[in-house]
Order: sequence, then structure tokens, then C-alpha cells
Amino acid sequence: MDFDWTAEEQEIKSRVASVLDEKTRLELEDLEEADLDGVKRITAACMRKLADVGYLALGTGPGARGRAMALIAAQEELARVSGSLFLSIETSARLFGGVLAGFGTSDAAREISESLARGELIGALAASEPEHPPFPDGTGTGAVPDRGGYLLTGRKNYVTNALIADWLAVVGDVGERPAVFLVGPHLPGVAIGPRLKTVGYNGLAVSVIELNQVKVPETHVLGPFDDRSPLDFLRLVQDQMLTVAAIGLLQRIVAATRDYTHAHERGGKPVFRFQEIRFKLADMLTLCQSAQFLAYRAGWLYSADDTEAETVLHCAKVFAAEASEQAAAMAMQVMAGHGYLAGNPVERAYREAKLTGIAGTTSEIARMSIADDLLKEYGG
Amino acid sequence: MDFALTDEQRMFKEQVLKFARKEIAPRAQAQDLKGEFDRDSWNRLGEFGILGLHFPEEFGGSGADVMTSVLAAEALGEAGVDGGLTLSYGAHTYLCADTIFSHGSDAQKREYVPRLARGEWIGCMGLTEPGAGSDVASLRTRAERKGNSWVLNGTKMFITNGSIADVAVIYARTGSGRGQQDLSAFIVRKGTPGFSVSRNLNKMGVKTSPTSELVFEDCVIPAENLLGGEGEGFLMALQTVEWDRSTLLAPFLGAISFLIQRCTRYAQERVQFGRPIASFQAVKHKIADMKIFLEAARSLVYRIAWCKDQGRPLNHLEAAIAKLFIGDWSLKPTSDALLVLGGYGYCHEYDVERIFRDSRLAPIGGGTSDIQKVLISRLM
Repeated sequence: MDFDWTAEEQEIKSRVASVLDEKTRLELEDLEEADLDGVKRITAACMRKLADVGYLALGTGPGARGRAMALIAAQEELARVSGSLFLSIETSARLFGGVLAGFGTSDAAREISESLARGELIGALAASEPEHPPFPDGTGTGAVPDRGGYLLTGRKNYVTNALIADWLAVVGDVGERPAVFLVGPHLPGVAIGPRLKTVGYNGLAVSVIELNQVKVPETHVLGPFDDRSPLDFLRLVQDQMLTVAAIGLLQRIVAATRDYTHAHERGGKPVFRFQEIRFKLADMLTLCQSAQFLAYRAGWLYSADDTEAETVLHCAKVFAAEASEQAAAMAMQVMAGHGYLAGNPVERAYREAKLTGIAGTTSEIARMSIADDLLKEYGG
Repeated sequence: MDFALTDEQRMFKEQVLKFARKEIAPRAQAQDLKGEFDRDSWNRLGEFGILGLHFPEEFGGSGADVMTSVLAAEALGEAGVDGGLTLSYGAHTYLCADTIFSHGSDAQKREYVPRLARGEWIGCMGLTEPGAGSDVASLRTRAERKGNSWVLNGTKMFITNGSIADVAVIYARTGSGRGQQDLSAFIVRKGTPGFSVSRNLNKMGVKTSPTSELVFEDCVIPAENLLGGEGEGFLMALQTVEWDRSTLLAPFLGAISFLIQRCTRYAQERVQFGRPIASFQAVKHKIADMKIFLEAARSLVYRIAWCKDQGRPLNHLEAAIAKLFIGDWSLKPTSDALLVLGGYGYCHEYDVERIFRDSRLAPIGGGTSDIQKVLISRLM
């Protein structure tokens, strides 16, 4: 047992932190208000910088399971600075990049994967559909063989990076077998909708994608697979990154609230001196640290290929999601009118906090899964 | 970062679990209903080696590390041992015997520790008073030096094991001021003239652990019963916090594991509307929430134990967070367990009701949740 980061984990944390200097942080403030061009410019620039310190290639793909703790160490540094950038980059590097690294065997897939690790392109994963959860048993998106490739047809919802991506990884079925199709956004038959307005994480470019008889060459198809393990892998990666996003959010909330309570005065003294305020801060930090160590342990179980890894990851995701919502509500109460103003870090956090419980495996589905695991283990 | 237990630690936890399920837990419910300390179970704990686990062999122990001690305490809770017995064990081993072992003279250690480690003698610790709990500055019990003796006068309140203890570590003022440097610790033997138990308190939970008021009226003890140096009492009391936030919190973790197992079995057996209640989402969610709490709490407690094993000074912020989290956040899972069992859960005959009552001590004993919030906000 060792509750300290290893030297390697510390080192990658420092490298990521070095990229996120004051100038970059100011740019990232602009990201939340940026138009599409701005989002693409800021995201691409940060991606290149993070590629230089090895962030994008870190722990990517199912083969890199053993390096999960180094990945979490690095992710946490980015997540606590900008949630939008974190989710965008993780979608590109760990979801899009992960499926390529783990299941892409063609030269084309390898080339895309290498460019991705160098920060030269942005990827997106199109999995969720109007009538299906992100990684269902059978999707509404289907492909039929067609002269050395496939014709892909379907509709995908809530695709992060859709409007700034150079490549889309589209989850679909060939018959009853799942596959992942690498699709260029400008291919004939691909229609990307307008940017969706979301409650939080406004620095993301999220949209819907329509695919109508899109011709995908065989070299750009991962699968079809005999089982659903690639999709299980993607679901796990998505839950893990959303958990870390919530941890980063919790850290931002605690820091912003603590600073405010020391700087803001009422009755001639900093509001921090009022017990009710201090107690809220204590609860917020307790939620933050509890979520943090639960996420670390979930990551470690994954790295150790432990049988309980998925159960504990679900625990971590639900807890982090709800902890960030609770902490954001407390922070808003502490900051009162000031916190309620648009653009305030706590107002932003309040909006962003809602995402973790509804994206990826929802808190309801996660709870069902946790209980099913327990009933299987003890209920007999 | 690495959360792996050693093979020895895992195996020992299993051994304790098996032993406690067979030898101790079957007696717990009846003892709780009677509200009596179970000397027979106590002796079995002593014979198994639990009561002196971390002491060196020459002092009657096994030389276990703190993590192993935490796992043993957790296993007792998981086996269904009542919170009264585990509290008596915690107060005896870590607040009394360990204080003598860590600060006593060689003669004191040899006289007291082996007997306490074997469970032949029972120990208690007296710090809290009717008018002073967390507010140590208000302690009024005094010890006056008279020749080769100390004379103690004062009253101690809420003393775990008070009425059954053969040996008590008592904190009293020796200086003229109210400061920390004026506090000293003494060993007081049962039967010493002037030392009496004025009453046992009838409590909501942990009923098999006697909680007493102790009175010292011109109680004369030999000068050599001073523990450590004069004025060192406060630091000794502070050092017990390391145990309080690790081994004394561990049975609460175990109790939640027990509840999960109890509820999963019950939910599969109990049929309503023609199907097991385990098939209802609301029941599953309650079971899942127990697991989520357990996983979040576990890392916080293990972290304190690991730090102590590394020889690091206690991080008071981390310790307070662990205590606050288990104290305040354990209410819901213990209440949920009661609800899963419905009417049966409300009956004294069922152990979930006992655990619900026992767990209410967590936000009160050993420093209330409010005090933890004061500490956390001061240190953050």
C-alpha cells in the first residue's frame, strides 16, 4: 500500500502543470465564451502543448491498463484547471485514441493514432443515439458491406468535439456484431448539426451527426468484433474520465469558495470567520477528498485488473457526481449574490456539476449495476 | 499510488472474520438486548490475540502493523460483532494500553501491557469531564503532588469501560494554569481508595460497552504512577487520535459491509407483489448507496493507518476528514438498511436496528462532527 504518488506519477503531474501556465489559464477562461473557431483554436493549441509533455499518449488503450494511476495523476492536473478542455482532450485522446490504440490494426488506423498522440488532430467518439444509451446491445446505426468497405447509416446524439474533430469514431453494427467506423467529417453523407447549447461545459463543441450511406473503406473499420469488449472498454474509459472531471470540478469549487470567504467581509470581518460558512467549507473539502481517494482506488483496481474494478468505478462516479453537485450548491449559498452572477467560477461549477450524473453511465444505471454486483456476490 | 494489501494482511483479516463470525457474533444480539458487557467474548478476543495485536511479542502482542490492526477491527464489524464490544476493545487497547506502552516506563509497561494485551485486565481512558469534552482547556480534575504520592480530585464523564476497568489512564491538571502544558496522565488501579464509579449511563447504542462516570475524591496514587513526564498529558491524548481515526473507525466500515450482506440476502428472500424486493429499483439503490459510502470511507481510514505505519506524524486535516465523513455520512446507509428490512428492521431482534443505534456514536464520540469541521476549516 502506498498513498503517495510515485516519482513517475509526480513527474507527469509536474509536466502537465508546466503546460498550464498563467497565459494558458487566461486563454482557457476565454474558452467558455468562445465561438466555434475559438474553441477549435484554443483546444488545438493546448492539445499540441500537452502532446509535447506526453499527455496524449499516456495510458491510452486497454493495453495501457497498468498505467492507470499515472494517467489519473496527469488527468487531475488538467481537470482542475478547465473542465471543458479536459473533456474535449480526453474524448479525443482516451476515447477516440483508446479505441484506435486497442483495436485498430490497419496502417490507416495506426497513422491516425500516431498523429493524434502528436497533437496534430482532434478526434471524436459518436456513440450515443436518440433511442439508445451510449454503448447499448445493438444500436440504430448500421453498416452493410459494399465493395471493399461499408455503407454506414444512422444518427448520433451529443457528440463531443463533433464540430472541431478531424476524425470521428462512429459506433455501429454490422449485422449483430459491433464495429467502430473511422469517418472524416467532410465525407459525402456526413452531416453535422449546429452546435448544441448546453447548461455547462460551454467550452465544448457538442453536436449531432447524421450519417446517410457514408462509404467507409475496410481499412477504416475497427471490427466487426465477436464480442462487446471494445464497447465495454469505451464505457469504462468514459466513466473514468467523467469521474476525474468531477474531481477537478470539486477542487475548483473548494478553491474558489475558500478564496472568496477570506476576501469578502461582512460585519467588519471576513465571512470565513462565521461558523456556518466555515462548516460548509469543511463539508466541501470532505466531499472533495473522499471523492478523490475513491477515484484513485477505483483507478488502482482497474490497473490491477481486479474483479471489483467496475463496481468501485461506478461507486466513484456516482459519489463524485453527487459530491460535486452538493459542493456547488453549498458554494453558491456561501457566495450568495456574487456566486449567482454569470461568469463566476461557482456559477459555472453549479451548471457543470450536473453533467457527471447524466453522462456516461447515469447515476441510476450505475446504482443498479452496483446493486446487481452485490446481489450476485452475497445474495445467494 | 498503490492500494494493495499484503497477502498476510488479507489472510489475517479472513482469519479474524471467520473467528468472529463463529465465536463472537452469535452472542452479540442477546448481549445487546441485555445491555451487558460480554466478558466471555472479551476473553475469546484476548485468546485470539486481537486485544494486543500491535504490541511486540514480549508484551503479549503479535507486533502487527497499524494497517493489520485496522483490518482486524474492520473484520469484527463485518462479522456482525456489536459496536459495544468493538468500542470497548478500541478504548482498552488503543486509548489505554497503547498510551501506557508508548509513554510508560519500562516497569509500567511490563506490569500493565501484557495483562491488558491478553485481556486479563480491562483498561479505560478518562479525559472527558461533565463540563469539558472537546474543550480541553476547561478540564478541572486536578492532581496535587504530596511527597511520594499524587492526590487526584475530580470527575470524569462518558468513560468507556469505566465500571469494568482494572486499569485507568486518567488525565488531570498538574500545573496552575489552563494550558496544554498543565495536563498530565496517570495510571490508576481499580480499588484505589478515593476512586469510584458513581454511575453507569444508559445509552441509545453500543449498549454492551459500559459508559461510566468516575469520581476521584482525594484519591492517592504512588508518584511512580505518573505516565511519562509531568505536563506531557496533552500530547499523549493527542497521540491517541491517530488510533481513534484509524482502528476505532474501522469497525464502522465493517458494520456497513455487514449491512450490505444482510440486506442483499434479505432482499432476495423477501417477496412482495410476487417478486423478491431485490428486483425493485428503490431497494437496489439503497443497497448501492451503502456500498458507495463504504468505498468512499474506506480509503480515508486506510490512509490514516498507512501514514502511521510510515512513521509520519498525524495529518490532522486528513484525520478530521475521515472522522467527519464516517460520522456524518454513515447516517444514510445505516438508515437505508433499516428501511430495506422494513418492519423487521425496526425490531430489536434484528441486528440492523442495533447497528443503526450503534453507528449514531460516530459523529459524537472521540470528537464531535462539529469539532472536526472547526479543525478542517482551520487547517484548510
